[in-house]
Order: sequence, then C-alpha cells, then structure tokens
Amino acid sequence: MSTTTLKSPPKSGPLYLKAALGMTPLAGKRSKEMPQRSVRLENIKTDPVKLSDYCRVTGFTMRDTLPPIYPNTLAFSLHMSLLTAGDFPFPAIGLVHVENTITQHRPIGVSEPVSLEVRATPIEPHPKGRQFTMITEVLVGDELVQVAESTYLRRGGGAQKDAPVKTGQRPPEKTKELPAIAEWKLPGDLGRRYAAVSGDRNPIHMHDLTAKAFGFPRAIAHGMWTKAHCLAALDNRRSDAFKVHVAFRKPILLPAKVELAAAEHDGGGLDFAVRNVRKGTPHLDGTIRPL
Amino acid sequence: MAAKTAKAPAARPVWVIGGNRIPFARSNGPYSHASNQDMLTAAVDGLADRYGLAGERVGDFAAGAVLKFARELNLSREVVLGSKLAPETPAFDVGQACGTGLEAAIVMANKIALGQIDSAVAGGSDTTSDAPIELNEDLRRILMDANRQKSLQGQLKTVLPRLRPWMVKPEIPVNQEARTGLSMGAHTAITAKEWGITREAQDELTFNSHKNLAAAYERGWQDDLITPYLGVEVDGNMRADTTIEKLAKLKPVFGGKEGTMTAANSTPLSDGASAVLLSTEEWATERGLTPRARFVDAETAAVDYIVKQEGLLLAPAYAVPRLLKRNNLALQDFDFYEIHEAFAAQVLATLKAWEDEAFCKQRLGLDEPLGSIDRSKLNVYGGSLAAAHPFAATGGRIIANLAKMLEEKGSGRGLISICAAGGQGVVAILER
Repeated sequence: MSTTTLKSPPKSGPLYLKAALGMTPLAGKRSKEMPQRSVRLENIKTDPVKLSDYCRVTGFTMRDTLPPIYPNTLAFSLHMSLLTAGDFPFPAIGLVHVENTITQHRPIGVSEPVSLEVRATPIEPHPKGRQFTMITEVLVGDELVQVAESTYLRRGGGAQKDAPVKTGQRPPEKTKELPAIAEWKLPGDLGRRYAAVSGDRNPIHMHDLTAKAFGFPRAIAHGMWTKAHCLAALDNRRSDAFKVHVAFRKPILLPAKVELAAAEHDGGGLDFAVRNVRKGTPHLDGTIRPL
Repeated sequence: MAAKTAKAPAARPVWVIGGNRIPFARSNGPYSHASNQDMLTAAVDGLADRYGLAGERVGDFAAGAVLKFARELNLSREVVLGSKLAPETPAFDVGQACGTGLEAAIVMANKIALGQIDSAVAGGSDTTSDAPIELNEDLRRILMDANRQKSLQGQLKTVLPRLRPWMVKPEIPVNQEARTGLSMGAHTAITAKEWGITREAQDELTFNSHKNLAAAYERGWQDDLITPYLGVEVDGNMRADTTIEKLAKLKPVFGGKEGTMTAANSTPLSDGASAVLLSTEEWATERGLTPRARFVDAETAAVDYIVKQEGLLLAPAYAVPRLLKRNNLALQDFDFYEIHEAFAAQVLATLKAWEDEAFCKQRLGLDEPLGSIDRSKLNVYGGSLAAAHPFAATGGRIIANLAKMLEEKGSGRGLISICAAGGQGVVAILER
C-alpha cells in the first residue's frame, strides 16, 4: 500500500467542486476496485478557538483532552480527498454513511499534535448495494491512540440480499425498550452551524433546497453531529479507553424534536439511541463499551 | 410514646486532603473561549484523577463564580454532572465575591465537622474573557413591561414609544462598588494613601510574589497542585525574570499621578478554576489517602466602607483578631501566612493596621496591637500578584498550597486571609 503525506489539509472548496464534477459524465470511467493507498497528514495542532466552537455546537465540555470524536472531524478533508480522487470507484456524492465506530485507546491531550492516516477497505456487497469502510488512524508520534471506522453504502448495483451488514444492528425492539433520558429540539439551521465548525458542507445538511436536489424533503442533521451530541451527553459516563459504535438509521429531517434514549449495559458501558419524539422512528443506534 | 430527642453527632476534625487547579491565565488569553463550567470541570476532573474520586459520591460540592451568566444558576451541579464525580453528588453555588472559594470550603468543612457529610469538594472558577454581557437595562425593563401586556397592540404601545437608539448598547460588567461608584483599585489607592504605603514596599512585595512562585515551579512544587489546561502548564501572569528596577519603571494606574499602585502591584483580570477535597480522617484512610492539614476554624468579617470610611479591603484586619481570640492564638503563632494579594497595598495596609496601636485599640477594641509578622513566612510559594486572581478560584489555590506547605513541614499552623468586594474579609486557620 502506498501512502501520500500531505503538507497541509486539502481545501474543502475544490474538493466539493471535484465531488460535484464526479456526478457528471466528465468524471469518465471509474475503476471497479478500491485503490489500496492511504493519505496522511502529520503533526496537526489543535486550534483552541476552533475546538471551543466545535464544543459549543456539539455540547462537549472543553477539557484538556479532545472530544473523542474530534479527530474524526479533523480527518474529514482527508476522507474527501480519497473519495473525490480519480481512482475512487464511486462518486462521493450519493454515498450514505451507515455506520461509525471509534476505538479510543487513550484520551488525546489538547496540546498533543496528532497525525492522521486514512485508507479505504476493499468493496464488499451490502443488502442494498455495496459498502466500504474508511479507516482513520490517529497517532501521537508513533503511538496509535485512536481508530475511527466510517462505513459507507453505495445504493444500487452489486447488492446481495444476504450480505452481512458490517457490524450489525441492534434488533429494533431492543432500541424501542431503551428509556428516553433527554429531549432535544434541533433547529433548522443545525446543518449550517455544524458545517461551520466541522468544515463538512455536504449540501444535504445545508438548506432545504440543496437537500431536495438529493432527494430529501428537508435538510437533514449530520450523522456525526448526532453522534457527537450523544457522546457529549454521556461523556463522563464512559471509561478513558473505550469503543463507541453507531448505526445511522432514518435521517433526522430538520427542524426536529428527537429524544436520546440510553441505559447502562450489564457488562459495562451504555446502550443508546436517538429516536423521533412523536413517532418513535429510530435515527441512530449506539453502544459504548469499555476496552 | 416516650419523648425522644434526636442526637446529632459531635463536631469532628476536618482535613484538607489536597487540591487541584488549572494554571491561571491572563484575561483574553489562552482560555478566552473556555466557560466557567469548562474550567471548573477540568479542575474537578483533575482532582478526581489525583485522589481516585471517579464514580465516587462525594458528600457535597460547593463552588461559585463571581462573574456568571443567569443561565448558570446551577453551575456547581452542572459541573458535577459533566465531571468524573458520581452524578449522585449534590452541589450548590456559593457567592461571596473574591471570598467565594474560601467561603465554599468553610461551608463544606462545617458540614463535615457537624457529621452531616464525610467528604466534600469546594471550588471556584472565574473568567473575565467569557464574561456575561447583558441586555441594556432600560430595554430589558421595557421588554418585561411588554411581556405583561395581553395583546399585541398593547405590547407595541408599551415598546415603541419608549425605544431609543442607544438601547442597543449592552450592559457590561464593571469592577465597581455599587454603593460608592469607585473601582476596587480606586478604593485601595485611598487606603494606600491613608496608611502611607510606599511604592517601593509594594514593588518589593510584588517582586517576592513572582520570585517565590517561579521558585515553586522551578522545583516542581506545583506538580501535585495543578493539571494543565488547553496547552497551558504555568500561570500566564508569572514573570520569573522581573526585577525591582523593571517594576519601578511602571506608571501608576490608580490614585492619580502621585499614585503608588501599578499594573504590576495590582492583580490583573484573569481566568481560571480550582477545587479542594475535604474529608474526615476516617474517610481518607478508607481510601488510602493521606490528609495534608486540618481545617481548624474560620471567620468572616465585614466593614462599613461607606459611611464609616473603613478601607474597602481591610475587613480581614477585623476577622483575624476575632479568629485568634476564639482559638486562643497570637498573630505570631503561625508558621505561614497566606494573605491574598489583591493589591500589594492592601496586604501592606492590613499588616500595618495590625501593628498600629490606635487602630487596634479604637477600631478592633484590643488592649494592645496584634504586632508584626515575620515577613519571610508570608506567601512563601507566591501569591495572587504572580499567579493572578480569577476571583472565585483564589480560595482553592491558597487552601491547597497551605495544606501542602504544612504537610511538608510536618507540623505547624497557617493563616489564610482573603479580602472581598463589598468590604468583606474571609479568614481561616489550617494546622497539622
């Protein structure tokens, strides 16, 4: 596997342009296989002002350690640079983020510079299309401190009915049983607020109109915001070394009233979910487990 | 049924187990974007890590912030709920201006002494960078009147004729005594003049504060008192390389051209948070913790700085003799004196007042002056002039410091004295 080390984070503007071009016939013929290469960004220092903006939008307390989901946010531009490259088998726009797992071996200090290395796993069949996982390794020096796995689904061709879903989902009745612990009123501009602090300006989160262009009736909440907000609410109830997995279910159409449901898990950690308050529709299923 | 009388436990000794704070930063510096809740949570989590309090239901948590938002009415409880302490830890907010941190510890110590709880955390936080700015007061009153109207028409009639363009100007918190209109510095300049406190004496105290704090960092003395925050490891206000000559060059900032108070011998605006752990000896032993010093007694005094023209920050001069009398001690019976340095002039005026026969006889009602202290025992690991003074966080810094000093010495006694806005003074004794 080859690794390209970038000198600075790729600018998101040109990446979106590339992503948009990727939807047109101009993109040319796409490769069938996932390229076996990785991109790397070294010695990224946390900007405390950006971190505090991120904490205010997601609900994290600003500590001396990073919110566990924050490095995944820093890696967004690296994800995009792989997803929009000429050798990538799918157009970036239209990919559905279905699962996200973060394994944190130890908390990362705010003043520790981190290196990020991102690669994609080979393509696998999914019941509704094909799937692959973007793996983000977070290192402090040579020490691997965190691994984030984002699984994406490309709907359509290549589907296999009986294909295994990456890590599986909780049975719906289990999610229903979790007691609601908090009600969240999500404003209509949540997508824009999160875009401003995460740099992820995916049009499906920005405005109703741009979301409509991609088949959503209204702008939808960013899955990583929803995951971050869950983690922020449960931040002091987990161990320092832990694994958090979420499966994204029905998108949250903004504005929305949703509830966080959670319960302590018998073997340690927590089970949690985000549901629509009125209808009970599941939006997200999650687990937190100590390592 | 036979009559029963409930029997409360007798008073028990209270111990300071230790403390933790984040380094203090100057206003609009590295903590500009951190809230009181962020900083206090960081300080409490550091304390929890140091003393194994993760998941522990502590008896009570009392803390406060001098500058806080209306929405932070339950600041302490919100800190608990975001911290490593068990969510079953009760909490409440305390407010006594710069005395907040020490008063929080006194309240907690009293609860422990009375047998109501076995352990407690007391803390404080303040930020002048993330300060509450309020709606213009005139506009606020108009909006509240409108809120009391039942119809939209009534609301418009209430609001529109009274709106003025200048009402967009917000209310910004000011360092000013409500009843005199003078800033704390201006008040202290009066005190400095009245007591003849020289510029040289103030600069010397300031120099010692920086020198002592720098030496404490140099020998790693602060290591079990501080946890880093947002990349900051050392108090941002400390000037390890300052000299008397450098300090002498500064222009006065209070008391006019002839004033003696400068930006160096007055504490700057700053941001920070601190927390201390208190408990019974038994509670500590059960958890394998070694108590550092006993929290013996405390006293709070207030002076009439308005009509009787007492020094705004000289209330500790009244509190200390009362505390000494109750504990059968003389001012000289201490190994350490931790006097909060709001201004060098206020520390020196307090010491001078205790030496002054007229003041001690007429104002304090004593037979003779309290006398002088051995200056080499004063703020030996630095004071607020060097560390800076995030109002409510200062009490926790001083308690944790003094407890460690007494533990190192093996046995001894220390006096804490903190002056506060509103003409108040909070003082306490620690012993080992």
